[in-house]
Amino acid sequence: MISENLFLLLLAIAFLGAPIAALSNARPSLSTKVAFGVSSLSSLLGLVVAADVLLNGGFEVEIPLHSIFGTFSFSVDGLSAIFLLTISLVTFAVSLYSLGYVGHYKGKYPIGLMGFFFILFYASMVMVVTSSNAIMFLIMWETMSVCSYFLVIYESRERGTVGSGLFYLVMTHIGTAAITVGFILMYTQSGSFDFSSFGSAASGMSGLMRSSVFVLWLIGFGTKAGIIPLHIWLPMAHPAAPSNISALMSAVMVKTAIYMLVRCYFDFLGVQDPWWGVLVLAVGSISALLGVMYALIESDIKRMLAFSTVENMGIILIALGTAMLFQSYGLSEFAALALIAALMHVLSHALFKSLLFMGAGSVLYAAHTRNMEMLGGLAKRMPYTSLFFFIGVLSVAAIPPTAGFVSEWMIFQSMLQSFNFPDMVVKVIMPVSLGTLAITGAMAAATFLKAFGITFLARPRSEEAEQAKEVPRTMLVGMGTMAALCVLVGVLSFSILPVLDNAASPLIGASIADQLTNGLMINIDLPTGGRFSQVSPVFIAVLLAIIFPTVFLLAGRYGGRGKVVQADTWDCGTPLTSRTEYTGRGFSNPINRMFSWVYRPKREFQATARPSPYVKTDMRYTSTVVPVFERYMYDPVVAFVRWAAKKFSVIQTGSIQTYLGYIFVMLVLLLLAMRW
Amino acid sequence: MQDSLSLDLVDTFAAIILLTDFMLVASGRMRSLTRLFAIQSLALGGLAAVVAFETKAENIYIIAVLSVALKAIVIPRFIDYTTEKIQVKKEVEPLIKIPGSLLICAALALLAYYVTEPIMDLGTAITGNCLAISFATVLIGLFLMVSRRKAITEAIGLLVVENGVFLAAIAMTYSMPMIVELGVFFDVFVGVVIMVVFAFRINRTFDSIDATSLRGLKD
Repeated sequence: MISENLFLLLLAIAFLGAPIAALSNARPSLSTKVAFGVSSLSSLLGLVVAADVLLNGGFEVEIPLHSIFGTFSFSVDGLSAIFLLTISLVTFAVSLYSLGYVGHYKGKYPIGLMGFFFILFYASMVMVVTSSNAIMFLIMWETMSVCSYFLVIYESRERGTVGSGLFYLVMTHIGTAAITVGFILMYTQSGSFDFSSFGSAASGMSGLMRSSVFVLWLIGFGTKAGIIPLHIWLPMAHPAAPSNISALMSAVMVKTAIYMLVRCYFDFLGVQDPWWGVLVLAVGSISALLGVMYALIESDIKRMLAFSTVENMGIILIALGTAMLFQSYGLSEFAALALIAALMHVLSHALFKSLLFMGAGSVLYAAHTRNMEMLGGLAKRMPYTSLFFFIGVLSVAAIPPTAGFVSEWMIFQSMLQSFNFPDMVVKVIMPVSLGTLAITGAMAAATFLKAFGITFLARPRSEEAEQAKEVPRTMLVGMGTMAALCVLVGVLSFSILPVLDNAASPLIGASIADQLTNGLMINIDLPTGGRFSQVSPVFIAVLLAIIFPTVFLLAGRYGGRGKVVQADTWDCGTPLTSRTEYTGRGFSNPINRMFSWVYRPKREFQATARPSPYVKTDMRYTSTVVPVFERYMYDPVVAFVRWAAKKFSVIQTGSIQTYLGYIFVMLVLLLLAMRW
Repeated sequence: MQDSLSLDLVDTFAAIILLTDFMLVASGRMRSLTRLFAIQSLALGGLAAVVAFETKAENIYIIAVLSVALKAIVIPRFIDYTTEKIQVKKEVEPLIKIPGSLLICAALALLAYYVTEPIMDLGTAITGNCLAISFATVLIGLFLMVSRRKAITEAIGLLVVENGVFLAAIAMTYSMPMIVELGVFFDVFVGVVIMVVFAFRINRTFDSIDATSLRGLKD
């Protein structure tokens, strides 16, 4: 009862707070406080509601609104609650962060408007994961897309921002179109737009119909999730958007697509055909691998993070595909394991990706550039930011005992169960995907090693980086919350996994909570008996906490200090400056060369000739990567549309009489056709 | 049993409407266009009054009175006033010459009869013949809009189309519900006001109300 009312209170606060934030636009500091105060308050309520639902069971609130599309109601079950929790958690931290971050927009852009859309964005995401009617869902989905579009084009006077926003808007609507068609197909089968009617209708559907709905939803939600090749709005929209918005979009908005995929496939359609799982697995593997490969060679921090999101959505889809495959062969206990792993990765990715985007935002705030090659040396100037960013890096690289480690470990474990498949083909496919996931993990580690090393270590490479100062306290609090959660969720995963199981078991039809954890350990048991593997992030954390200081102490005590000699480093006669440092491009160049058939790099080296061949003063080196999908997939489509539009433009004469004439001729023709 | 006098009256008014359609197409002067439109609206009002008398529905009387007041008096005056004010040339300036226009309109009238034939066979209403005429009026009004140059003739074309729709409503169902009719009246009135205001604007910008000069606005 109480959480129902809290849920309504959450929405009421958001809908009242948003206009107030917009109205107080004239006073920037007031509207900052109103906007992000309201969003943190309502996200706290969201946390409470989600926690209550996870512990005590779900509820349903009906909206007293009669429509021809069925009943409009919010229903929060375990799965919704997991996503509600994730969304609220991230929004809470990002709201705190934004209190400080939007300071630099003062006098430049309307802060009240950002607050308005920020709050509505949060509210719409909450409603997306709690809608229980297809039409209502689509309205919320659209609200979410439009709010995020306005937030993406917030810095509208920057070059390219409006274009990126438009691209995002077009892509997201292509996705929505596919989703809508899927829902309409379901409607023709069930006769109702209520989600509750979809599940029962699916069993009576023909195979072709089910498969078309499956593919439509994969395209539709996949566009939002950023799967390759529908990902290209991500690396455009994220650098354009303000960093707090990128954090929200990348960490949670794309997750709403995962929520709907789980809901649609496991709850509505039911997974029967194995090829569905194989397709999702393949799409996930490709997204993960290519995503991380593009992330690795990127030197714009936010673009790099956007590609990393593509990669992580791919990883989630790999886990989801694995779960679907197990489910289609009736191995529901393994399916539960894979689905729990997917949900765990949803949670951990939300935590570390929002942390990393906030960190990138802090760097941007302090040093005014996103280009890694212009940064460096920030660890000394911004110690807290770099500490938090480092924790995010550990988590994204799946280093124990962080959240990222637990989720990726679980995904690996679930995929290693592939020997249980009765089908030989699947037995072969799974290890290939597993290998992809492994190399993805390695490259993700390299990507973030580069990102952290080039950005925060060594010497500053530009004046701005030299002048950088630590960011305001509210921003640090926002990042610190997420950094702490990254570690805590990992360490305490033994108590979180059963909760996830609770949410997943109604969808799968099997609960593995009893086998999954044993005290502080996470176990993977075989249904035939026997233990497959186990791990305990708690013990790892304790061990690390003991070993590091011990080693440090021992080394200090027995290793001896050695004699400190102060002298110049041997520099071959040229003074050491930041120009002699290792560059990000240099770091990623070996990978670039190894995979040149993917990147298709174009290198150009120019040097002005001098009388002496040994002295070259003016040298220029450019290296560009061909954006394969843009060039070979999107550009032809765009060119075709433009060409067709040009051909059709002859009918636009500009004369009213002609337009009226079209109507007139059409009318006469229709009358004649009717008479026949 | 239907009163034969009423039937004759309905048919007469319908004939006047069709006749004015052709005269509208044939006339080359702005002034006569508004006159003819006023006559057509009067005939329409009379037809509505006969139908009201026959069916004993009071609301059709109201509509008849409104129709006469608005379309036979207010709107023609308003358009005349505007043409005086902006001093347009008196000629209609057709895009299709008048003899050709008349031939096309004859074809349109035939089309109207051809199209409505199956419906008229079913008809038992006293206004049965009117449906074909209403179709013809709609088509000819639309043709006027397409084939005449001036912005004000477009407005008159639209009004003729509306007369046709109104006639169809009376012919088929003894008029639409009161609220719908009132809405349509309001719509037409506002439409005309807007069009005339636009004519003023076009005149000021291009020194003529030739709507073809709007061609330059496309990209």
